Amino acid sequence: MLKTLGKFAIATLAASVPVMAAAADPAPTTQKIIDRGTLLCTGHNGSFFGFVEVNDRNEWKGLDIDMCRGLATAILGDPNKAQIVPLSWAQRFPALQSGDVDLIIKATTWTMGRDTELGLQFSIPYFLGAAQFMAHAELGVTEAAELDGGTICVEAGTTIERIAGDFLSSNNIEHTMVSYEKGAELRAAYLAKRCDAFAGWGPNLAVIRATEVDDSGAHVILSDQLSTDPISVAMRQGDEEFVDLVNYLIAALIKAEELGITSENVDEIAADPPSTTVARLLGSDPGMGERLGLRDTWAREVIAEIGNFGQMYDRNLGKDSPYKLPRGLNALWKDGGVLYTPIID
Amino acid sequence: MVAATARSRKPVHVRRLLIQALIVMAIVMIVWSTYTTAQTNLNALGITGGYAFLERATGWSYSFSLLPRSVDDTYLRTLTIGFVNTLFLGTLCIVLSTIFGFIVGSIRDSSNLALQTIASVYVQLFRNLPLILQLVFWYAVFIHLPGQRQAYSLGDAVFFSNRGLMLPALNISGQMALIVLLGSIALGVVLLFARMPAVRALGVWAAGTALAITASVLVFVPEGEPVVSVPALKGLRFQGGMQMTIELVAMIVAIVLYSSAYIAEVVRGGLAEVPRGLVEAGQALGLRNRTIWSRIKLPMALRSIVPPLGNQWIFVMKATTIGVAIGFSDLFMIVSTSLTQTGQTLELIAILMGAFVLINFALAQLVDLINCRMQLKAH
Repeated sequence: MLKTLGKFAIATLAASVPVMAAAADPAPTTQKIIDRGTLLCTGHNGSFFGFVEVNDRNEWKGLDIDMCRGLATAILGDPNKAQIVPLSWAQRFPALQSGDVDLIIKATTWTMGRDTELGLQFSIPYFLGAAQFMAHAELGVTEAAELDGGTICVEAGTTIERIAGDFLSSNNIEHTMVSYEKGAELRAAYLAKRCDAFAGWGPNLAVIRATEVDDSGAHVILSDQLSTDPISVAMRQGDEEFVDLVNYLIAALIKAEELGITSENVDEIAADPPSTTVARLLGSDPGMGERLGLRDTWAREVIAEIGNFGQMYDRNLGKDSPYKLPRGLNALWKDGGVLYTPIID
Repeated sequence: MVAATARSRKPVHVRRLLIQALIVMAIVMIVWSTYTTAQTNLNALGITGGYAFLERATGWSYSFSLLPRSVDDTYLRTLTIGFVNTLFLGTLCIVLSTIFGFIVGSIRDSSNLALQTIASVYVQLFRNLPLILQLVFWYAVFIHLPGQRQAYSLGDAVFFSNRGLMLPALNISGQMALIVLLGSIALGVVLLFARMPAVRALGVWAAGTALAITASVLVFVPEGEPVVSVPALKGLRFQGGMQMTIELVAMIVAIVLYSSAYIAEVVRGGLAEVPRGLVEAGQALGLRNRTIWSRIKLPMALRSIVPPLGNQWIFVMKATTIGVAIGFSDLFMIVSTSLTQTGQTLELIAILMGAFVLINFALAQLVDLINCRMQLKAH
């Protein structure tokens, strides 16, 4: 934390001349990534299951990691050129501002404060989650109102902290809130019954209940949905072309699912595209790359490496993962979810 | 002759002044250019600077506060609460670890081999393990204590569970208790200034504090309610009494055990420096060991104990910043959370630094004062 803060301070203070020169003629983030040869993405100080986690072979995996690998493929042509920088929740914004990472893909909610005061800009949302409470079943609670007088644990510095505080106080639910810097400490404190309930992000709570506890029946996820959080990629202000690139990466992944293009059949379909949309998306017809300063075939390479959005979801959170999280709202619009894309013309 | 000396002195004097002025100017320039550069770069990054956020409501809460708190508090109030928490925890730890450190240090100096060995093992063990490790260890132990429904209890008045230590307390608000506590500390400092004999000063201090407590009880205990409020389990939590959250308990235990080990070494060093002749003189007069310790060794030793002890006190204040590891809401944790919630990194770090400079400067002054009081009067 201090290291990052230090770097941030140094970056803002000491490097005045180069930064000001750069501000006059902004070099797009993409160019910086190409020059460096690696894409610097946010990891986590531990595992945020399903999104950013470390597996038993000490490799990063998860939905957000796949997004990062996808972007590395789009820009550099190789998913392994994505370098994951482990950061806590609190560190992610200073790290982005000081240039320690190129962007934040880390279950980050799009908020007005971040968008305006932190000097960030956000991509189109790629996931929708809600803050919820998980409580010990032995307390016999089913909704948040019954938590009156209870102790609630949260992760410090997250939007959940504010959403939960706002929800509890506006519903006049007396409570004590204990906030922890690290998810692992938070889970340990909750499981040791230091707190009656654990305010977290719905998908995350479900994942913890499915995998981290001995008896998943001993915990209930309360019915109240405290919020609807649009999860987006956060980038530094001032590089609109880079935002476009990330937006169309997300669009391409969702569109591919919509069109039935998967990592298995992408080459086949690219060789014989059934429509002009597909042909353009996969680079069989020109146009997809030039507008973003990339190769025409970038989307095809990305899909071949990491699959479409549905495949990413199933692998990391859904039916092919240990968590078996239903698609719910995070399905395509045509399947009853909220995912849709800009028109790729 | 006299005139010549004065003339030759003058240029030296002017030159010194000039050098000092140049140094001051250079420092001002550095600070100013740092400030403007930061301002320019923050603007270039599109980050809104300044202290306007202090007036905004935070929207989040935290584990421990002596003052009433809510999520609608402004950042200013929240940071103030963090400051009070740090001050409270730091003061408590300083008092406890000084007492405990003196006991252990004196035992280390004693002639009883068994006690001496125990004290040595204690010092070596707690001094040589990192503080943060000890804190995490104690916290892990404490949160695995029985839950509040199975809490250990002492006569149904004191409860100890993984939620904290619940003690019976006077039926006054935390705010009032804090005012009484601060008043008592202020009285102590004033008495240090007033060159009064130590025993009488102690008496005045005890009487004054007792008076303040009685007055606050008479005035502020709501009519028809008992004077002493006893904690009792109601619903999901204990109500009434004084509630020390488990985070606070873990902080106190970890910091006190760690810094007592250091203070014990300081005390032992001080006692060892007392000339043997003085002790032998006492023995020759037929004084008891206890009298030799309290009348000869300790007063002599204090003179060499106080300066390093002051360093240790300042260290204890700074050690409160590890609260962030276990979710104790000290100033550092509040600043760290505010920092992510507002993104006002530089401003908040400035506040944090200012607060600690203030606390530790005041503490250093206090130690100086005690040091002056300790000096041998005849010298």
